[in-house]
Parts: sequence; structure tokens; C-alpha cells
Amino acid sequence: MVTNKKDKEKMPSGVAVAGRAKKLLNLFSYQAVGTLLVFLALILVFIFFTPHHLFVDPRNIKALAKLTPDLGIVALGVGMLMISGEFDLSVSTVLPFSSYIFVLLLRAGINPVFSLFMAMGVGALLGLLNGLITVKGHIPSFIATLGTMMFWRGVLYVHSRMWPIGIRAYFPAGSSFEHVLIGEIGGVVPAQVIWFVVFALILGVVLHFHKFGNWVYATGDNKEAARAMGINTDRVKTICFMIVGTLSGFVGVMQLLRLGSFAATQGLGFELKAIAASVVGGTSLMGGIGSIAGIFWGALTIQILENGLILMRVPVFGISAFIGLAVILFVVLNTYMRRRMMMMR
Amino acid sequence: MVTNKLLKAGRDITSKSEPILELRGICKYFGGVHALEDVGLELYPDEILALVGDNGAGKSTLIKIIAGVYQPDKGEVLMEGKEIEIRSPRASMDLRIETVYQELALVDKLDVVENIFLGRPLTKFRWFVNRKRMVAETVDILKRLKISIPSLKEPVQNLSGGQRQALAVGRAIAWSGRIVILDEPTAALGVEETRKTLALIKQIKEQGASVIVISHNLRHIFEVSDRIIVLRGGRRVGSRIKSKTNIDEIVKLITGSL
Ligand SMILES: Nc1ncnc2c1ncn2[C@@H]1O[C@H](COP(=O)(O)OP(=O)(O)OP(=O)(O)O)[C@@H](O)[C@H]1O
Ligand SMILES: [Mg+2]
Repeated sequence: MVTNKKDKEKMPSGVAVAGRAKKLLNLFSYQAVGTLLVFLALILVFIFFTPHHLFVDPRNIKALAKLTPDLGIVALGVGMLMISGEFDLSVSTVLPFSSYIFVLLLRAGINPVFSLFMAMGVGALLGLLNGLITVKGHIPSFIATLGTMMFWRGVLYVHSRMWPIGIRAYFPAGSSFEHVLIGEIGGVVPAQVIWFVVFALILGVVLHFHKFGNWVYATGDNKEAARAMGINTDRVKTICFMIVGTLSGFVGVMQLLRLGSFAATQGLGFELKAIAASVVGGTSLMGGIGSIAGIFWGALTIQILENGLILMRVPVFGISAFIGLAVILFVVLNTYMRRRMMMMR
Repeated sequence: MVTNKLLKAGRDITSKSEPILELRGICKYFGGVHALEDVGLELYPDEILALVGDNGAGKSTLIKIIAGVYQPDKGEVLMEGKEIEIRSPRASMDLRIETVYQELALVDKLDVVENIFLGRPLTKFRWFVNRKRMVAETVDILKRLKISIPSLKEPVQNLSGGQRQALAVGRAIAWSGRIVILDEPTAALGVEETRKTLALIKQIKEQGASVIVISHNLRHIFEVSDRIIVLRGGRRVGSRIKSKTNIDEIVKLITGSL
């Protein structure tokens, strides 16, 4: 056994075990690493096996870079909520709902920046509602948000009559607002990527360095203990729901600008894909485990998997099967690695 | 009548002043279960009060009311003579009441340091967790309390039952409340660890705090406490000054054969 005198986090009277070897293990036990390795493997496979190496074609990479942040940003919120021990299936409705609000405001001649904030505010409100139903009603969030998903979808479909609404009539192309949300930095890097990274950094700091993050983990792992130690677990969860709603609202508008037209079906299927991304990134379905880095790589992995399979001409339903398989494999892998780490300690 | 006299005598011995904490006529119902029925409790400054009773007597429920986990259905709580409401665990902590729960209230996947500062991490720039200071403080606390835990980075689920218990007790003491409540603090401990914990309990008192301790081990109770309150079936059936009673009498009160 190696002892390391410099290890300050060791008890003076305790058994000395810590050392360089263990530090290395700790690094590998970090949930994101497993995901990162598979992620790299996937990229290699797709580079070699897509026809004409289309996967690394600059056009494909650019399309992927514009597309991925949609799911990615939503997944960051959903993953954090999962760490706090709850689910949100309503993202796939909150997203187009906010997008719809944005279009309506725009059509009413309201300033786009203000409209964006309103759309995010509506997202936050819907999140608040999800949170209150879950914590005050003592209803499993899976059910509560299944209900709100269907309810708001119905309202949206009826009110919008599912007609697409183009935004160009109200919104000149090439405005600075558009540049900030979906422009390209130096003509190369899509702004969406920057937003994805920015949100990941913000949530990363909140989750891993802010005291709120500490409460999120405690709430998700052992709600009773967290409560007994003075953490308002209901408030923690509700805030996480609101973060998910706000992010979905943002993505709703960002996606709307990219598509150029409102569609009531925006974000369809995101609810399960976001959960899949989080799980692939090492987030536990039981709460209390996960990291923003992991969720980030998880979202990239899911998108790349989908994109690569499309390029390989796998039929749509086949893709669904592959993603399902991948989710299961990742969970098995993560669980296995976690257990190995526990035994090696 | 006799109890009453003893109580008065007790007051003369254990306190120069009014109770620091007083509960009157507390009732608590869980559905049809009468967990507590008209229970009173008074805690004097610098005293170690033991709470005993059989399984399901209502001990944990009573201290959870003081800890803000449960709200009483009836009755009042007074702190230094003033009526108060302890609406949440946070409110209780703000009154500088520290509680070690029977189920320990540790978060398994968080490490030792994070558990010591659970819910109230030390911060820098107001919002950000100050890990470095928390580690330093934890090392300090554990050294002071002579608790040995192999690694502070270990998720507490990897600690032994005794280490977990020592950690929970250490956490309550470290925050140096003016009232410390311990629900079964020695349940999972070996001989040596038990001895240490009992010494710690006395040490809390010397530091000027009052203690409420729950235990099924009457020998431990007689070793550390000044006064003993007995619950049976959710009712308070007696209060005795330690020096004026014996294990036999307490057992009889617990079982109801007196
Ligand atoms: N949250 C709850 N919901 C329903 N019933 C409860 C709850 N908490 C306690 N009870 C009931 O209240 C009664 C008192 O329980 P309590 O935990 O206070 O007993 P105790 O004296 O601490 O027992 P032990 O020595 O076994 O810890 C028991 O009948 C118990 O079943
Ligand atoms: Mg109990």
C-alpha cells in the first residue's frame, strides 16, 4: 500500500491508504470517463463505416453542431433534475409551447429580446407548476409531468391548430438577435455550440461548486436525511424543475430561429432522449449520482449515434432500436464500473 | 404526589434557573396511532436528560418535534419561557438545537466532509462551497473528538456502522448547539467506541450545553444522565432524578409494573 504524506484529506490517526494509484482510480471512477471512451469509439466507427466517410464531411459536422445543442441544453436541465431525484417528461411540450408564445409575441409586434425572456419565463412557470404538483401533491414526477405533457400539448395543438407559423414576416433575416442565438462565430462555429457550452459551464458551476448543487445531491440521494439537516428539499426540486422549464423555453426559441417556422411538433421525443442522454452520461435513475460533464458527453453521444446511423442508411425504426440498445449497454457499463470502483477502494 | 416532590427537588439540584426548553401537553397522531398523548418535557440548563421507554413508546417522535421534523397536533413548546413554533428542521438548527437521529441522517453517496456540513456548507464569496476550509475543519473536529475515519473522501456508505454513528454524533457536537439531542447514539458501537461516546456526552454538558439522550441501555443512561423521563405507550409515566432512583424502578416504569 502506498502512503502519501501530502494527502491532506487523510485522517491523522486514520489508516493510511490513499496514494497516487488511488487518485488515478478516482479519476477513472468519474462517471464521464466511461462515456467519453465509448464516445470516441463511436466516432471512430462512424468515420470508417459511413459511406464516403460522410460523417466527417464538414457539412455534416456543421449540421450536427447546430442540431446537438437543442437536445443537449434540455438534457443538462433534465439530468440535473434527475440527480435531485425527479423526472420531467413535459419538456417536449414546454419547448414548443414557449416557441409558440415567442411567435405570438413577435406577431404582436413585441421586441424579440423581450419575447425571448417571456418564452423562457413561461417555460419557468410551467416548470414551477410541475414542481408544485410533484412536491405538494406528493405525486411521482413521472406521472405528474406525463399529465402536464399531455395537457399542454392538447392546449397547444388546439390553440395553434397545428399550423406552422413562419417568422420571416415579423422578423428580418440577419438581425443581431438572430446572430447572437444562431449565428456563426467567424463563419465556422455555430452560436448554438457556444450556448451549449455556456449553459454547461453555468450549470456545472452551480452543481459542483455552488452550495445549491450540494443540496441537489443530498436531496436526490436521501431526501429524509437532507430534510432532517435543514435542506428544503421541496424547494430544491421545484427550482430544478424551473431550470428545466427555462432551458426548454430557450431551446424552443433557438430551434424556432433555426427552423424559420413554428411547428407544434418541435422537440417531439426530447423527453425520453434527454433522459437517455443523462443516463448514458452516468446519471442514476434513482437520483444522487451524475455530473454535468457526463450529461454533456451523454447528449453528444446520443446525437452522434443517431446521426451516424442515419448516414449509414439505417431505417428510422432501426435507429430507435440502436439507441435503446445503447442506453441499456451504457447503464450496464456504468453500473459495472461503479461496482468495480467500490470494490477496489 | 411523590413524583411531584421529587420533581421539585430535582429542580433544586439540577438547575439554578428556569428550563431552557419546555414542552407542554404535546399530542401527536399518525392516522389512528396515538404516538404521543399529552406529554410534557422540561430541559434545564447544563443537564443531561435521558428519555427511556420501550420500542414504539414515542421517544423518537417526541425529539423529532423538538427537531422540527414533526409538528405537534396539540400542545406548546417554550424556549426560555417564550412560546415558539419549530416549523422545520432548519428552524430548530437556527435555535441552535443539534440532533443526532436514530436513522443517522447521513447521505450515503456524499463523503465524510460533505456530510459533516450537510445542508450548511462553509462558503466563499457567499455562495460557493469552500471545500478546503471544510476539509480543514473536519480534520480538526475528528481529531478533537478522537474519531478515526480512514479517508474523508470516502462516500459514507463505505464506512462501518460504528464509524457512521460516530460521524453523526461528531457532526452534532461540532456544530456546538446549546441543546444537543441524541437518539440511540451508542446503538451500533463497540465497547471502546461506546465509552468514548459516553465521555463525549459528558463533555457536551461541560461545554455548557444541555443534552437529551435516548437509549435502551439503562447502564449507559445511569452512567451519564442527571434525570430520567420515562415514556410508555405515548404517555409520560414518570420523571426521576438519577441519584434518587435505581435501574429496577426505571425498568418497572418502562414495563408498567409499578
Ligand atoms: N412517520 C410515522 N408514521 C406513522 N406512524 C409513526 C410514524 N413515526 C412513528 N410512528 C408510530 O408512532 C409510535 C411511536 O414511534 P417512535 O418512533 O416515536 O417510538 P420510539 O420510542 O422511538 O421507539 P424505538 O425505541 O423503537 O425507536 C409507534 O407506534 C410508531 O409506529
Ligand atoms: Mg426511536
